[in-house]
Amino acid sequence: MNQNPYIPIPVEVVKIVTEVDTNDIKTFRLKFLNKEDEERFKYTPGQFGELSVYGKGESPIGIASSPTQPGYVEFTVQKAGLVTSALHDLEEGARIGIRGPLGNSWPIDFLKGKNIVVVGGGFAFTTLRSLINYMLYKDHRSQFGNITVIYGARNPGLLLYKEELKDWEARSDINTIITVDKGDAGWKGREGFVPTVCKEAAPNPENSVAVICGPPIMIRFTLPVFFDLKFEKPNILTSLEMRMKCGIGKCGRCNVGSKYVCKDGPVFSFEELDRIPRDF
Amino acid sequence: MKKFAIENLSGVIASLQQKGKVFAPVKEKDGFYFREIADPGDATLDFYNTVMSPKHLFFPQTEDMIKYRINKEGADSAPVPINSGPQILFGVRPPDVRSFELMDLLFEEGGIIDPYWVDKRKNTIVIGYAFDSVDPLDFYNTFDIHAADPRGSDIFMVRKDGTVLARAFTGKGEALLDGLAGLENASAADEKAFEDAVKKGPGLKTRKLDLNGVAKKLEAIFDAPYWQKASMACLNCGVCTFVCPTCSCFDICDETLFRDGRRCRTWDSCMFTNFTLEASGHNPRTRAFQRFRQRINHKFSYYVSKFGVTSCVGCGRCSRYCPVNIDIFSVVEKAKEV
Repeated sequence: MNQNPYIPIPVEVVKIVTEVDTNDIKTFRLKFLNKEDEERFKYTPGQFGELSVYGKGESPIGIASSPTQPGYVEFTVQKAGLVTSALHDLEEGARIGIRGPLGNSWPIDFLKGKNIVVVGGGFAFTTLRSLINYMLYKDHRSQFGNITVIYGARNPGLLLYKEELKDWEARSDINTIITVDKGDAGWKGREGFVPTVCKEAAPNPENSVAVICGPPIMIRFTLPVFFDLKFEKPNILTSLEMRMKCGIGKCGRCNVGSKYVCKDGPVFSFEELDRIPRDF
Repeated sequence: MKKFAIENLSGVIASLQQKGKVFAPVKEKDGFYFREIADPGDATLDFYNTVMSPKHLFFPQTEDMIKYRINKEGADSAPVPINSGPQILFGVRPPDVRSFELMDLLFEEGGIIDPYWVDKRKNTIVIGYAFDSVDPLDFYNTFDIHAADPRGSDIFMVRKDGTVLARAFTGKGEALLDGLAGLENASAADEKAFEDAVKKGPGLKTRKLDLNGVAKKLEAIFDAPYWQKASMACLNCGVCTFVCPTCSCFDICDETLFRDGRRCRTWDSCMFTNFTLEASGHNPRTRAFQRFRQRINHKFSYYVSKFGVTSCVGCGRCSRYCPVNIDIFSVVEKAKEV
C-alpha cells in the first residue's frame, strides 16, 4: 500500500435514513466519487471506517452495509460528539470523506460451516447487520448452518433497520427473535431483556458461535447465559469500542495491553479478551 | 575518518548547511535544544543532553497533513506534500539515536507505513556524538547502549581534547563526510584514539535495571494497589511524555479559521484524562493511576510483547524534568518487588 493512509477518500451522501423515533440515529449511504476508490474499498463485515468532515474531524464508525451490496457503503451513526453531530446536520448530496476499511473483521472463514447465534442490543447492531446480510446473501447462505438472531432494544421505536427485521422474520432460513424491554400500545411482539430471551431461546452450543454486541450492561448479563449453555470462550465473539484517531495502530489511543483495538480488533473472542488487561 | 578542531565547529556546520537543513544543539535560556541552524555559530557541542529529545525532526510536535477550504457541498481539500528534503541531525547522543530505531518499528509496523515519519527518516543523516560523562539519572546501559555507542548513527563523533573525530558507519554517512569542506583527514593515531574511545564507552557506567521478567511481572500486577501508591505524587502534567524520545502518541485535529483550515497531527499524551474519553462519556482511564500504569506498561510490557524490545532508551529525561521527581527507573525497580 503506497497510498497515504491518513488521506480520506471522497464520497457523496446519497441517502439518509432516520432509524429511530428519537431522531438521534441515522444511516448514511455513501457513494464513492471515483470508481477506482470503490473498487479498492474491499471490506469484510465487522470492519469500520473513519468518517471525515473537514472542520470537525474524524469519527470511527462500523460499516453497516454488507460487501454483497455493491455500489455504496452504509454507516449507522448515533449523534454524540462533534463529528457525529456534524454528520447529522448533513443533507443528501453532501460530500464527506472516509478512510478505510480499517480493523480486522468478523472471522468469516471461522464462522463458515457453523451455526451462528447473533445477539445484539440497541444501537450496537450495525456491524451485526452487515454480518447477517452477508450470510443471508444467496451465494453465501449455504456456507453457514442455522442462523439465529436475537435483537433487543429498550422500546420498539429504538429498533434499527425495522424494514429489514420484518424481511428476516418472514424468511425461513433465519430464526429472528426481536424483543423490547418495554413495548408500547402498538407493539405485538415479544417483551423481555436480551439475556432472558437468550436463556429462553437456549441455542445449542454444538458447532455454534455466538456473536454478541451491545451495551456493557447487556454483555455482562448475557455472557453468563452463554457460559451456562456451555459455549466455549473462543466461540463467543464481540467487537470492542475505544476512542480512536488514526485507525491504523500508530497514534496509541486505543492501546489495550499489547493490542491496538483499531488494528488488532475491533473483533475479539472472549478468550482473547481474557489475555489483555481490563483497560477498555 | 575525518577530524576538526572544536574552534572550527561553525565552519563545519556551515559546510553541512550546503548539504541540507542542519539541526544541532543550541543553547537557550533553560537548556539545550535541537534547532534548525540559521547562524552556524549557534550550534554547540558543549552540552550534556538536550531538554527535548530530537524526535521532532521526524515527528514534529504539530504537522499539517491536509489543507481544506469549506464550501457548500463539503470542502475542497489537498494533502500537504510530503517532501522534507535532505536533513542533517548533528550531535545526537547514543540513546537518542537508538530511540529512532525503536520508533521505526511502530511507524512501519505491519506493512502500514506512516509516510510522514518514513520520509523524514529516509532523508536525514544522523550524526551521533559520544558522551564523555554520566548523569546520575541516565540508565541507558539497561538497554545495551553505551556512552560511545555508534550503532544507528550514519556518522559518529567522539571528542578528544580540543578535537572532534568523526567516522562514517553507513554509505550515506561516508558520502557526506568525504565531500565535506573544512575537515582534516585523520591520522593513524586519531583512528586509534577513536577506536579506544568507542571501546571505553562501556566503562562509563550508568544505572542499570535488570529487565529480566519485568514485562510479565507488569502484566501480573496490573490490578495491584502498587499503582495508586507509585503514582500518588503524579500531577498528570505529561512532561514525561513530551520530553521522551520514544513517546509517539498523537492526536489528529482540524483547525479552521473562517473557511480555511488544516488537518494536522499533534503530540498527545496518555497522561491526559481526555486521551481515552469517548463521545458516549465512557472513559477507561479516568483515574491518574490508570494513566500512569498505562505509560509504564506500554513501554516496559506491551511494547515488549509486540516488538520484542522495551520502548525506553534510558535517557533519563522523564526523571530529570518531572516536577515531582518521579523516577521511571525506580518505579519499574519497585514494581519487581510487588
